[in-house]
Parts: sequence; structure tokens; C-alpha cells
Amino acid sequence: MASLVPPPTPKPAEKVDYMNLPCPIPYEEIHREALMSLKPEVFEGFRFDFNKGLNQNFSLSHSVFMGPTEVPSQSNDTVIKVPTSHYEFGANFIDPKLMLIGRVLTDGRVNARLKCDLSENLTLKGNAQLTREPHMSHGMATFDYKGRDFRSQFQLGNGTLLGASYIQSLTPHLSMGGEVFWAGQARKSGVGYAARYNTDKMVATAQVASTGMVALSYVQKLSEKVSLATDFMYNYMSRDVTASFGYDYILRQCRLRGKIDSNGCASAFLEERLNMGLNFILSAELDHMKKDYKFGFGLTVGE
Amino acid sequence: MAANKSIISRVSSSVSDSPIVYRGKKAAADTGFVVKKLLLSTGKAAWIASTLFLVLAVPLIIEMDREQQLNELELQQASLLGTPTVSAPK
Repeated sequence: MASLVPPPTPKPAEKVDYMNLPCPIPYEEIHREALMSLKPEVFEGFRFDFNKGLNQNFSLSHSVFMGPTEVPSQSNDTVIKVPTSHYEFGANFIDPKLMLIGRVLTDGRVNARLKCDLSENLTLKGNAQLTREPHMSHGMATFDYKGRDFRSQFQLGNGTLLGASYIQSLTPHLSMGGEVFWAGQARKSGVGYAARYNTDKMVATAQVASTGMVALSYVQKLSEKVSLATDFMYNYMSRDVTASFGYDYILRQCRLRGKIDSNGCASAFLEERLNMGLNFILSAELDHMKKDYKFGFGLTVGE
Repeated sequence: MAANKSIISRVSSSVSDSPIVYRGKKAAADTGFVVKKLLLSTGKAAWIASTLFLVLAVPLIIEMDREQQLNELELQQASLLGTPTVSAPK
């Protein structure tokens, strides 16, 4: 009987149509999934965000933050914090072809972003930051060209910053790319390479740059709700090594992200949906080495 | 009397100065030191482990429990309302 059953034939290897590869994701976003899981925006203190859509394209946002913020200090072991509070007003205009986002803070910082589709394949992105302190304001313009199976990008920034990157899909799952940059004012230049392998269950990325940075990341999606992420960062110049491991649970009522890294720093970030359009945020970060403990809570109203 | 006393004192001094007693004392002091250090470091490790557990695992457990309760509630409601997903008994 058993002989009648044909042995399970090995699945014929799917013919890869190398002329029809998917478009890779932009070079600067190759760590996207790992960053989403491992780098939640932890904060300390209280924040309140309110978003109000005025019509389909236009919306306003208000946000209040109160709490201590860290001040950079000379010694590495101690953390100096000063209590601060600010209010941020933002206006967004979002249209399929044009996106304009502006933010003004009460301490005088202004942030503006622009994204504009010049043609079907060419996108212009702009980003400007103005501050009161001299030499801290900067602006940048980026031209993105999206091909059928590649993306290229050209960057122009103040301080004679020039950069270009290119990423190409090699197989349906693998994409590789490289970048060059030149900062005229700081007299620095460098090249970098990156590779990304993704299937619908996992994403693995690797990036090296001539600045000495080596970054590896791996994200495994255990199910629709759960993904585990790990990353490894090494800097050849400063001999810094950090590895971190995190989980990301997206449940019906909440999203919970937790992370622990090799410096002994653990953080957790919980976004709980209390009601439609009302989110409650809890954030915690423990650093036993520096004796730095950050806890924060917040509310988000609106989408 | 004086000779007796001196003998006792001599014996006691020879006992207290003997290398065995000295070594015993030293060993006791050393073990005390090590035990103290060990207790301190276990206490610290326990503190770190428990705070990490509090931050990383407790919210997860609570949220998983809530999710499960929600699922059960939904299942119950579905069976009460008799949605077509429930297979008909034969």
C-alpha cells in the first residue's frame, strides 16, 4: 500500500523571474523593523498629545511635556537632569502627493518637513530644523528615485553635506546597497554597505560603514501579534559593543515593547488603548549601571 | 601559687599563640568576610533581577491575561448568540 503512495516529491524550486523583482525599501530604512521593536521613544515625566483633524487633509496637533530632561555632562557615570516643560504646536497637511509637517516648540525650536512627489518615481523630501543656538540649525533636501527593483537617493544638506545611496533587489528576498557621503565642514567622508534579507517570517540586516560602525539586526515574527528582535552594534573606532534583545507584542487592546541590552539597561513601553482615539502610555527604563531610572506616563487623544 | 599561675598563663599563652589557633581564627575571619560579600552580592543580584522582572515581565503577563479574558468573553458571546461559526450538533 505504502508503495502506491507516491513519495513526497520535493517542491519544484520556484522559478525566479529576475526581471520582475520587488522594489527594495529605502536604504536608510533597512533597519526599520528592528528599530520599531527595539527603540521605543522612552521618556521621563508626563506627556499629553492631542491631534485634531480639521478636514480630510489638514490637522493640528498640540502636545505638552513636563519632566526632567538629561543634560550632557563631562563624566560618563553621573546623569544630570533639569526639570523642563514645553508645549509643542504642530500643523500637518497630508495629501497623497504632498505632505507638509510643521512643529513649533515654546523654547524656540522649529521643525519643518516636506515630502513631495515630483513625478511618479521621483520624490523630494526636505527637513529643516531651526534653533536659537547658533550653528545648531540645519536643513536637508533629499531626492529619491524609485525604480522598478532599485531605489537611489541623493542628499544635500547644509555644512556642505553630500550623500548618495543606492539599493538593489538581487533576489525576491535579498537586497543590497551602498552609500557614500561627504561632510565638507567637518572634513569627513565615508562609504557604507548594507544587505537585507527578508521573508514574511523574518528580517535580517547587516550594515557596515567606513566610520567603523557595524550593525547587525534580526527580527523574527513568531505570529501576527508577536515578534522578537535582536541587534548587535559594534564600533571599531571607539570599541563599543552593544547587543540588545527585545519583544514586541501587538495585542487588541495594547502594544507592549520590552528590551534589554548588554549594558544592563532594560526598558518597557506600553501603549494601552482605553477607548477609540484615547491611548494611555506607560514608559519605563532602568539602568542599574548608571543608577538612572526613568518612568513616564502619558495620554494621546486623537488618532 | 605564683608558679601555678605562671604555668596556667604560660599554657594559655602558648595555646593562644599556637599556629593552629592563629590559622583557625584567620580562616573564621576569611569565611565571615566571604559570606558577607556573597550575601551582599546575592542581595544585589536579587534586587536587579526582581526589578528587571517587574519592568519586563509583569506588564506582559497582565496584558496576556487580559487578552485571554477578552478572547474567552468573545467566544462565550459567540456561543450564546449562536453565530454560524459554531458547528451544529449531530
